[in-house]
Amino acid sequence: MEFNNYYNALAEKAFNFARSFSSDFECLEIYFSKNDYLSLKIEENMLKHVEKGKDEGFSVRCVSRNGSMGFAFSNQVDEKHLKEIIKTSIKMMKNGTDDPEFKSFPPKFHSYPRVKKIYDKQVEDLQVEDLQEYISEMINRCKEEPLAISHNGIISVDNEETQIYNSNGLSISGKETFCSVYSSVIFKDKVSGASSSGFEYQLKRFLKDLTPKNIVELASNNAKMFLYRRKIKSMRCSLVLTPLGTKELILKPIASAINAESFQYNRTFLVGKKGKEIGPNCLNIIDDALIDGAIGSSNFDGEGVPCKTKNIFLNGIFLNSGLLHNWYTANKENIESTGNAYRSSYSSKPSIDITNFILKPGDVSKDELISTVKKGVLLNYTNDKPNISTGDFSGLVLQGNLIENGKISTALNETMVGINILDLLKNIQQVSREFKIYGSYRAPWVKVKDVQIIGSAP
Amino acid sequence: MGLYELLDVFDDKLINWIEKNTKNRVDYWDIRAETKSGNSLEFTNRKSKEISSYELVECSIRTLHEGKWGFYILKDLNSNTIKQGMESAIKLCKIPNISINNPFKINEVDSYNKKIRIKSKKKIIDVPIEEKINLLKEHENIAFNYSKKVKNTKTTYIDKHVKTIFLNAFGSKIFQEMEFVRLFSTVFAAENGVIQHSMNSVAGIGGFEIVETKEARSISIKSAKEAIELLGASSPVGGKFTVIMDPKLVGTFVHEAIGHSCEADLVLQKESILKGKIGEKIADEDVTISDNPILGQGTLFNLPYELYGSYVYDDEGIKSKKVDIIKEGILINFLHNLETASRMGASPNGHGRASTAVSIPQVRMGFTYLEPRDWELEEMISETKYGILCEDFQYGYTDTTTGNFQFKCRISSLIENGEKTKLMRDVSLGGMSLEILNRITAIGNKKTFNYSDGICGKGSQGVRVCSGGPFIRVEDVIIGGLN
Repeated sequence: MEFNNYYNALAEKAFNFARSFSSDFECLEIYFSKNDYLSLKIEENMLKHVEKGKDEGFSVRCVSRNGSMGFAFSNQVDEKHLKEIIKTSIKMMKNGTDDPEFKSFPPKFHSYPRVKKIYDKQVEDLQVEDLQEYISEMINRCKEEPLAISHNGIISVDNEETQIYNSNGLSISGKETFCSVYSSVIFKDKVSGASSSGFEYQLKRFLKDLTPKNIVELASNNAKMFLYRRKIKSMRCSLVLTPLGTKELILKPIASAINAESFQYNRTFLVGKKGKEIGPNCLNIIDDALIDGAIGSSNFDGEGVPCKTKNIFLNGIFLNSGLLHNWYTANKENIESTGNAYRSSYSSKPSIDITNFILKPGDVSKDELISTVKKGVLLNYTNDKPNISTGDFSGLVLQGNLIENGKISTALNETMVGINILDLLKNIQQVSREFKIYGSYRAPWVKVKDVQIIGSAP
Repeated sequence: MGLYELLDVFDDKLINWIEKNTKNRVDYWDIRAETKSGNSLEFTNRKSKEISSYELVECSIRTLHEGKWGFYILKDLNSNTIKQGMESAIKLCKIPNISINNPFKINEVDSYNKKIRIKSKKKIIDVPIEEKINLLKEHENIAFNYSKKVKNTKTTYIDKHVKTIFLNAFGSKIFQEMEFVRLFSTVFAAENGVIQHSMNSVAGIGGFEIVETKEARSISIKSAKEAIELLGASSPVGGKFTVIMDPKLVGTFVHEAIGHSCEADLVLQKESILKGKIGEKIADEDVTISDNPILGQGTLFNLPYELYGSYVYDDEGIKSKKVDIIKEGILINFLHNLETASRMGASPNGHGRASTAVSIPQVRMGFTYLEPRDWELEEMISETKYGILCEDFQYGYTDTTTGNFQFKCRISSLIENGEKTKLMRDVSLGGMSLEILNRITAIGNKKTFNYSDGICGKGSQGVRVCSGGPFIRVEDVIIGGLN
């Protein structure tokens, strides 16, 4: 663990100043973060924007003996501003309400996990010229597609550094890198006038792991698949979720529903379901922060608590220990924090989020899974989200196909899917062996029986 | 030096240096800098969850060379960092070895040297934090005491005081100062194992007066009432229906399904179904849709502040004005920023907007609305045999390439034989935008006109917008349902 000496020196001065300024706080935390980024954007299949910047700042969070919390931040990182922000944070704290359940901040931890391959040193001195080759590859790959009429793409690289200190003696620092490619293409058949859009993205820790050409190819295949669409009649049938569909309709809703804060306020569809069987044996979900090289991996969370691996659903049962906690929500239940406090940067106070959220692969191949569907719908992408408090979902199939006699056929137009997420989980029949990784999510193909499809064909 | 004096660094000496050092090196440049401070307060179940305060300084330098933009971001404002920043930005737009097929130039536009202060009646920087907190406590108490069925409440208050400066290659120097306030009330109600929630909000440009109007004071009671009503609502049955949309939903429709397709950057990127359709009749002749972000429209709604989606100059120094998008059924204008106007041979019309000083301006809407006609709401309902009245929205989106759109309504009522019967929840409606434009069979009168405000997302930026219209009736809309 390498500490940034400038932050170290500032933090030491800050704690001395805070103690001399006020004796009203129980604990005070200083969070520094810095992100150096570089991003190149393709528009109309031409390089259009080259962006370089740095976002750096700090926040001060303090809590009183009665559990009232104050928070303040600035991006002017120097001693003068740090002192001002400490004063403001304490003033904010004094204006909050008492909360006996707010018990200080985390203590000093003696050990942290050591996840490997989350920092790419090559990114440190990265120049725009180093990304030229990637951009050319993307532009040229798109030119190979005769039906492609437009292409937007992004390559971006983020180099992030985080350092957390609190007055309980906790101090931790970490560095990580994120490298990403995004490609979105538009296809048009000039004869029939049919058009469609397709996209794909990739998020990696190491620049050398990016495969921009392949991402453009996948985006193009995606667009091709949905070029000729037709309306279908309403029906009840099987629904096959692609990995992206699984992410949108299974993993994301569950991730929101097991957020301990929402759960403690009874705001999620999984309230009252702890320890119960929610789905079949093949429904196994974990949140694992400790996978080497993975995007959601981390040694410590947004409050400096060590990260770990947690089972959420085991053989279809929503485990009693299946919630994601930060320090506050864990204290409320007198348990250990799961290390899921999340901060996007210095400007956000800790909330709760997943690390690597994984639906474990099953034992059938995706081809077998689809081949057993006589009539059904394949859902790749919807922009709709379920109502997390009720689990009700009704959404437009933005990218999807009909499945007939075990084969993927025509793409769908103006088709909607309606189901409660609890019914969807209960009706899961099969989970595929193959899976795809979308950022912090790992998702296989999933077959669900008995789903309401609303079509617009007469 | 205080936070707000930092912008004084852009004096004549520095501007002269920039002009001299960019001459013949780039085709265009602009600089935006912003200093801002604000509070963010959140109460849940009558306890404070967030009491926070911030100060930020942000600056971006944008350069254009042979059709490629460079964009450099900095946060330490002094003449040295800005000079170095300009050099970096010039280097960024001149990335070698990548050819561009379209080395466009920006057509010169009028320059302005202006200082604009939008005055708050009750400046947020003068309102003590205690008073802001008391406001939240009041809303929490009102919502909590409304009924035993109210299980939890959340009230959020966000304010911002901001000063910005804009400079560009054409000689503009525009300084602006203003304040913003937003207030949200969310209430969750539960009964017999059913949980429902409702959220209402107010937002505007101005000071604390925004949260002191009668309407703002009633948002928590409105959320509580609606959440409880929704407990008794049923899920919709899917199918095709005659739908009456309320002004907020109409606003979402014109914004999502029409407005985005008129953004000229999406048109150039061939992502809009309206590409090549200027001058064509695309809707019934009763349909006129405009975008008008100019100041002074708050008074039309008896509000003591400016509408949240308003602005005097956009983020490229172009003065805002009313733009007719569809006039009497004919598509007549796209919304433009500097680049799209230059490339499409149009005049920029004030729609180059960015979410912060460190985001790249895109083509964005301001206040988009459907012009009213002459129907009474009562007439629309009484003439409907079987249909759904859809009110307000939870969210909405559109695929501008195909015109496929989808909205989730907040509260809906079934209409049977000309009368509202049962309440429905989570109704989602979808369709193809151009088809819907031709299936409008009634447009409400001025009395039924209203608007809503919010943040519109595009390319990971959020800008403040308003949208609205009168009540309208549309035939054959697809309603999604679980049954």
